[in-house]
Amino acid sequence: MTSQIEVSDRPAPPSEPGVGPAELARLSELATLVTAAQDAMSDDIVTRLSAALNEGMILLDRLTRNQALMRLLHTLERAECQNLLEALAEALAATSRDLAKGRAADGGLGGWVRLLRDPDTCETLRLVSVLGSHLSRNLQASRAPDSSSS
Amino acid sequence: MRILVVGGGTGGTIIANNLARRLSAELRTGKVSLTMLSASDRHMYQPGLLYVAFGQMMPDTLYRDQASLLEASIEFHVDPVKHFMLDERRVKTQSDRVFDYDILVIATGSRMVPEEIPGLVEGSETFYSEAGAIKMYKALRNFKGGRVAIVVGVPHKCPIAPVEVTFSLHDYFKTRGIRDKVEIKYHYPINRIHSIENVAKWAKPEFDRMGVAYETLFNLKEVDVQNKVIHSEEDTEYAYDLLISIPAHRGMAVIEENRLGQAGWIPTDRHQLTMEGYDNVYVLGDTTNLPVSKTGSAAHFEAEVIADNIASIVKIGTPVREYDGKVYCFIEAGHDQATYAMFNYLNPPDLKPANKSMHWFKMSYNQMYWSSVRGLL
Repeated sequence: MTSQIEVSDRPAPPSEPGVGPAELARLSELATLVTAAQDAMSDDIVTRLSAALNEGMILLDRLTRNQALMRLLHTLERAECQNLLEALAEALAATSRDLAKGRAADGGLGGWVRLLRDPDTCETLRLVSVLGSHLSRNLQASRAPDSSSS
Repeated sequence: MRILVVGGGTGGTIIANNLARRLSAELRTGKVSLTMLSASDRHMYQPGLLYVAFGQMMPDTLYRDQASLLEASIEFHVDPVKHFMLDERRVKTQSDRVFDYDILVIATGSRMVPEEIPGLVEGSETFYSEAGAIKMYKALRNFKGGRVAIVVGVPHKCPIAPVEVTFSLHDYFKTRGIRDKVEIKYHYPINRIHSIENVAKWAKPEFDRMGVAYETLFNLKEVDVQNKVIHSEEDTEYAYDLLISIPAHRGMAVIEENRLGQAGWIPTDRHQLTMEGYDNVYVLGDTTNLPVSKTGSAAHFEAEVIADNIASIVKIGTPVREYDGKVYCFIEAGHDQATYAMFNYLNPPDLKPANKSMHWFKMSYNQMYWSSVRGLL
């Protein structure tokens, strides 16, 4: 009994630092938010969200473990590749505009000759030819280890 | 090195994908080959059948094409094994093809055997197959009230299924507003309401709260389908209007036919997970005779250990891990609450009170399963 009186006579302990009425109100707000979110959720929503997350994880896993894609990304980081991609995108846009306003090709042997005389056509053929020779060389290089092992 | 995985269920799929990830360089260079033989071209998420039985999931959402779940480096054949020739390190399949191996993984699973109890097939509803789960749902839907009996055979797949189905029945009838017209009685073959002691301790007050009656030491002898009465080996009986059964399970018939293990369970080293007498034959999942639950989670944790060990044998010539008996089971305590049990060879489960967040975790896992079998989780 005596000890109880002694305890009640002691001054109230100071509150924990950082936990005042304002903080408690914020915690209460947070609890209300969590409760509201829980009440708004349903099994269907949880299932759909999980399915989306699951498929996303699978996709990310496949992308990050695909060595060809990773090498491609590495190559695309080079400035000249980025310039090429930008040039390609701009060329596509310009091609779309030119096709819309230009008249249809004449066709026939005469049309072919006129097209071949155009310096732009020659430059295009050169570009395709250079691209083709590099592609062919790279493919041969990638096949080389297989052929040597067999 | 030729690695052959027999069985395309949870354990087989996880181990094949885990090996394909761990041995990707060796598979690319041809140092290792990885082949899977399965009985089906489809993969089923078996725990989903309980939800189908209560109308909470549609059966088609439980399936994926098996090939779509496997890493591209795995050679996959739908051609189940007919003969195991372990001494010759080869198997023969149903199509008479022969596959030689250096390391064999047997993950053939288990099957229910309700036909071993007279009257059980005709007289009861069960959710251990797609057709059974749909039939059970229709029976529940048409049920207007009366006596529901739950009977359990051992051993069975999914250790928590008996209490889960009981909780779900309570919630289902409550939601339909007919719980007061339904008497639910749970029958269990040993002298407590669940084989895992702490699950029994946790479930008993829940049953009391829900008004579920129970009878222990009830080993089902036969079902009198005509009079709708179940009889036990202990000479007790109970008249029912609807009978729900958790049938006993056995290992696959091919295991028994090849005399690899009694009742289809292969004698397995509890830490190395190798077949007794064969260091190059690994066994996992329901196929083992280990004293752990027959559940996908056991197969998952076993697969992690076996994959690590096979990969380390390839890389450094020796295994590196032991299985500690880890099992993790979600426990649906009705339609909107759940808890879980985690245990291993040494530590029993310590069950926490059920709550909604755990139920949603289980709902999420129903989707995450597909990442899990791909070896991602």
